[in-house]
Amino acid sequence: MRINEIDLKKYSNQFASYTELRLHENRSQNISLLNGDVVSNTRDTSGGVSARVYDQGAWGFCSNPDMGNEAIETTIGAATRNAAFLAKRVGQADASLPRANAEANSDFTSDKPTLSQESKIALLRELDTYIVANCPEVVSRQVALNSLDMEKKLHTSEGSYGHNTNTRSIIGIKLTTRNNQDEPIELSEAIGHRGQFEDVFTSAEPMFAKIDALYLQLLDKKEAVKAVSGYVDVILASDLAGILAHEAIGHTTEGDIVRAGSVAADYLNQVVANELVTLVDFANTHNGETLPVPVYLDDEGVASQDAVIIDKGVLKSYMHNKESAQYFDMPLTGNARAFNYTDEPLVRMRNTAILPGESSLEDMIASIDNGYLLMRPTNGQADSTSEFMFGVQMGYEIKQGKLGRAISDTTISGVAFDMLKEVTMLSNEMVWSCAGMCGKKQPMPVGMGGPAVKTKVHIGGE
Amino acid sequence: MTDLTHTDSASTDQEKSLAHKVLRKILAQGFDRAAARVSADELHELQAENGEINLLRTNFETEIGLVGIADSKRASLSINQVDDAALDTAVSDLQGMAAGSQQDPAFDIAQKQPAATFHGGIDEPDYDAMYDRIEDLQRYVSATYPTLNLRSSGITYFKRRSCFVNSNGVEFLTSRGLYQVSISFSSRLGSKTSSMMYTGYNTLELDTPIQQSSNIDLLMRQSTEQVDTQHIPEKFVGDMVITPDCLMTFVGFLTARISDGPLVSGTSMYKGKLDEQVTSGLLTLHSRPLSDELCGGYWVTGDGYQAADSTVIDKGVLKTYLLGLYGANKTGLPRAINSGGSYIAEPGSSTFDEMVAGVKEGILITRFSGGRPNDRGDFSGIAKNSYYIKDGKVQFPIKETTVSGNMVDLLNSVDAVSTERLNTGSSLLPWVRVTGVTAS
Repeated sequence: MRINEIDLKKYSNQFASYTELRLHENRSQNISLLNGDVVSNTRDTSGGVSARVYDQGAWGFCSNPDMGNEAIETTIGAATRNAAFLAKRVGQADASLPRANAEANSDFTSDKPTLSQESKIALLRELDTYIVANCPEVVSRQVALNSLDMEKKLHTSEGSYGHNTNTRSIIGIKLTTRNNQDEPIELSEAIGHRGQFEDVFTSAEPMFAKIDALYLQLLDKKEAVKAVSGYVDVILASDLAGILAHEAIGHTTEGDIVRAGSVAADYLNQVVANELVTLVDFANTHNGETLPVPVYLDDEGVASQDAVIIDKGVLKSYMHNKESAQYFDMPLTGNARAFNYTDEPLVRMRNTAILPGESSLEDMIASIDNGYLLMRPTNGQADSTSEFMFGVQMGYEIKQGKLGRAISDTTISGVAFDMLKEVTMLSNEMVWSCAGMCGKKQPMPVGMGGPAVKTKVHIGGE
Repeated sequence: MTDLTHTDSASTDQEKSLAHKVLRKILAQGFDRAAARVSADELHELQAENGEINLLRTNFETEIGLVGIADSKRASLSINQVDDAALDTAVSDLQGMAAGSQQDPAFDIAQKQPAATFHGGIDEPDYDAMYDRIEDLQRYVSATYPTLNLRSSGITYFKRRSCFVNSNGVEFLTSRGLYQVSISFSSRLGSKTSSMMYTGYNTLELDTPIQQSSNIDLLMRQSTEQVDTQHIPEKFVGDMVITPDCLMTFVGFLTARISDGPLVSGTSMYKGKLDEQVTSGLLTLHSRPLSDELCGGYWVTGDGYQAADSTVIDKGVLKTYLLGLYGANKTGLPRAINSGGSYIAEPGSSTFDEMVAGVKEGILITRFSGGRPNDRGDFSGIAKNSYYIKDGKVQFPIKETTVSGNMVDLLNSVDAVSTERLNTGSSLLPWVRVTGVTAS
């Protein structure tokens, strides 16, 4: 039975205490070309029903892939019993959660007919052929499509209801050449968009310019030197600002992390950054534009609100689920999201961004005597100490205000609230990424954005 | 739909029946080679957050994996709905996916092998024992480490019943149940916070308190020390003593580069290195999914071959690649006899104390938080939950310290392996000392 055919409201009479009842299906696809060969051609669908019940401060959860009527009833019953099992042992009679009653529906699936596998592979092959024709020094190439559609229908005992489907499609390109020592040198790009393949990859041609830029940087990287490790002036290009917002500040200010001991607990309403810095976790829309991962109703039935984390340098709030909002006595923000039907909602970022400033990138580069321009992030990680790190796969030296030699892959790190105070310039551009996948017990698609940032970080190297 | 309590049997009859049904449907769709895997998972999780037991979870999951090859074109698909309509849609989609793909003679399925049934582990969760162990850990932490915050601690009972069949006549039935223990924690003293630490282990019994299992107590004690961290005195090039907690971060560079992707693409630094010295001669690494020393192994590879134990590195010499069927056919190299994992490293001849005593200046690293190393092996990242070593003694916990080097060089620089090893149920690994790492 499909999710849109199931009426969740009819199960309301089976809710014994606060209950979230969710139908949830993830549909993903991967097609990978390695040196022109299709090495992966796969599709996965995973869905089912879950119920989460709150009883005197204890949670019971149950999920089942069967979305039939009997299975849904049994799932609610099992989650209720699980909560009661714990409540009997650790329950607190006065425990309660903030209430929420909201309704939101959204659907980002394409109206166009579904393209055949042959058509999708043909587009990837067009990109592959372009690389072969235009990137003569490439010795190995990968072109891959990854897409994820996430459909959720939610009904809570407080009356919240929503049917929301988010979609995302990403084409990843990795080029490898060899340096004079015959060592592999690689560079990759992820071109991600909200929406399904049919809407966002209508032709290969718009991606050719990205391949050209990637190839030119790869040739620079072939001659790259290692960065000199230490604490240095850097410009984080706009494609790095998003991961900076996400890893450096975002995780540190998630309500559950703050409650668990993050240093952000000590800094509320204090200056934690240069006044140039404003950082927001947007729910779904900014400047009239729908963002990469729009969330209108979270998985606790809360209407999603923008969370202004840092306003002109001052730490103003955190991101919350119901428990952390209750604990900190703060307004709900609607950040509770679950990745799979088998998962409970956790505090997750949505579209986290540093807002742009007024400088030009050229002026920012010209302002540095000895440092680095860093671009193209890889993976990242945060910590309760607010120390963050992320990998960087491309960069250039800056000497006397001018770009110098390319540097090889490195990792940068810093203490978020120290780094933010060192921010002295923000560029006037705003770049969004729709390819981020955050890992925090569960994976989760996230949007990230921001301008180029001038600051100081630790850089790994020789 | 049955009552959502744990299933009482390790029987795989239902999975077997469904797998054969799916296989028949794939072949009826016109595929000339096909495989089907049906798994039924059962998960029971008890979780505590911030020192309070707060979640009991019961999950059931079914996964049906389909592989079809027609005219040397391959597609694979997985679903978790078992009704006929869902299965018919899946095989129809599979046919469309394969038809739209391209031919590659390297695509194949596992050859015929004798049918076999494997069963291991425990059949049922013990909720009382799960509850008691978590509660016991909370009490212990409150009494022993009052500054430590158990951000999350959980025990999961996980059972998988699975059947793999293919059109060459392969049929494997497997079932295994075990407990997975995971905890994450940090410490806080006044305004000082330690780095987050997370660890875990697999086990078949819950008689042993969590704090007495694996190296949990040591890591918790260290966390309480790590609220007082210092910068290293200055940048240096020195040694690094790698704990078993993060050894696979470094050895994992090698095991990842001897698998299908890097070898087929030709980008692996270990291409053409079979039977050659690729690490220090002090390192011997086995992949033993069948070992009785571990409890989280496997019997069947992803391709549908019965798994066997192997030695990956023998005194520094690379003895096997970890190629699957496609990678082996594509490269002309031998298929590995397992899918890797379940790593057991031979112990060395130095005690941990002797290893540290031999360090003039270095880092004792327990967690590495770094960017993905590039294909050449260059790495850099932060040494978390780690210590500064000077003149043979562990001095103090460190902060904001970046370590950099090259994975290939690092594995060649191993100059000591400990006699002690840590068993997490999924691996059995020693402490290892390497040289030439830049710390700044």
